Amino acid sequence: MSNISESSILLSVQNLEVSYGPVQVLWGVTLSVRKGHVVSIIGSNGAGKSTTLNAILGVRKVGRGQIVFKQEDIVRQPPHERVKRHMTLVPEGRQLWPKMTVEDNLLMGAFPSTLRKDAVPNLSRVYDIFPRLKERRSQLAGTLSGGEQQMCAIGRGLMAEPELLMLDEPSLGLAPKIVDEIFEFVRNISREGVTILMVAQNVNYALRISQYAYLMETGKITLDGPSEKLLADDYVQEAYLGST
Amino acid sequence: MTLIEFVNLLASALLLAGIYAVMSVGMTVIYGVMKIVNLAHAGFMMLGAYLALELFERFRIDPILAALLVFPVMFVVGRVLHWLLVRRLPTSDQPTLASLLLMFGLWLVLQNLGYFIWGNADRSIYTSHTLSLLRFGAVTISTVRLVVFGAAVACMVALHLILNHTWFGRSVRALIQNRYAGQIVGVDDQKTASITFGLGIGFAGLAGALLASLYSFNPDFGRPFLIRAFVIIVLGGLESVSGVAIGAFVLAFVETFGILFVPAGYQLALSYGLLVVVLIFLPGGVAALTAKVRRLA
Repeated sequence: MSNISESSILLSVQNLEVSYGPVQVLWGVTLSVRKGHVVSIIGSNGAGKSTTLNAILGVRKVGRGQIVFKQEDIVRQPPHERVKRHMTLVPEGRQLWPKMTVEDNLLMGAFPSTLRKDAVPNLSRVYDIFPRLKERRSQLAGTLSGGEQQMCAIGRGLMAEPELLMLDEPSLGLAPKIVDEIFEFVRNISREGVTILMVAQNVNYALRISQYAYLMETGKITLDGPSEKLLADDYVQEAYLGST
Repeated sequence: MTLIEFVNLLASALLLAGIYAVMSVGMTVIYGVMKIVNLAHAGFMMLGAYLALELFERFRIDPILAALLVFPVMFVVGRVLHWLLVRRLPTSDQPTLASLLLMFGLWLVLQNLGYFIWGNADRSIYTSHTLSLLRFGAVTISTVRLVVFGAAVACMVALHLILNHTWFGRSVRALIQNRYAGQIVGVDDQKTASITFGLGIGFAGLAGALLASLYSFNPDFGRPFLIRAFVIIVLGGLESVSGVAIGAFVLAFVETFGILFVPAGYQLALSYGLLVVVLIFLPGGVAALTAKVRRLA
């Protein structure tokens, strides 16, 4: 990545270390995300992928390391400061508020005070992308189907006009047809210029829609490169795509 | 029982429910957002009662108006205590032992502070309306109780509107339902917790100040009400304001009509009995019951 000029790097993570109590789960993770790219982190369960995204947003405390977002070290900033700088996370398992309406769920995506003034136009933008959410705007989020809940979670992530949208397992637990639909949405959002950092166990999909990818194993990045290269890599093929 | 007796009892149950709701809602919001069982709730009610008394005796402020003034004072007290002590508790999605011990300790401190300042004599607020009655046909209602009820309902409605129609309210509901999701979208959970704690203490003080117009009190004031608040919160489900209103009505109804069957001195036993029955048969509270009915329908 040395041939890329500094200014086109939106996010750069250096030597990130995170522990849960006495158990260290990230051992010096280094990665960077270019503006406008879709970057994926692949790897098996428990490798530390979700922890990495949570640490980047600041909801998981970082022991050591640097997180530079838009040329600014944000590692000591609380999550709400990072959201104000247009970084959002669509978390694993959607994490909606089941007893709040779809519209209230979405509006909460623009909670930080500086984002509220644009909440209404952003809401209609989200409804344009996901017309089904508009139909169900006054329904409680807990009554939505799995796919609709994922749309609602992504919609919430778009309410803060993200420059970096992080997606954690957007396809987990969804029917194959819905998975296609969700990845199509991700591709469309990326085409609108939003930079995406995505974590996925669905390695095949992840590598097909991203330009660059990192392989994570037991808290370390063990391989990285353009996605098509990882897709062709023998080790990735064997260990994560099930070919023999 | 004649119809007139029934209507009279129903009216007093309703009036009692209003004050019970205000008394419990402060505990509910604090529990919902912070998962802290506010064992010091009774202490703050006592403080509210004495504040109302001081305002009434020193400045001749009407006790109901005094109760409304107590609210902002106790709100500030709550936020200061949050900053001093409560924010240092570990955050958790379950009540922690540390939080129980802190709140219990706080209760003891408040109680002794009460004895230190006001002594142990029973006090009461007595005005010209204390004994006045209103008659609506065959129904007789104490004027003060009706006014207290009105103030209580107004405060509950205000809280309901805040929770449902403001950004702050939305963030409170978000933290109650899923704290992690709240943090993700940029809710400053410490700030929300601080305001919520202030609100909870404010409501405790308000409830105490309103009760001061109805009952005599001393620094141990609030203990039986704390137990009732537990019953109401368990009945109403631990995390919703409308649930609290329902729980308050159920308890007030049981206590009021219980007088027909058990001596008044056993009223607290009735509350506790209700708590036991609810925990055994309906651990999810009234909300779980309505959900069950809806599923069956």
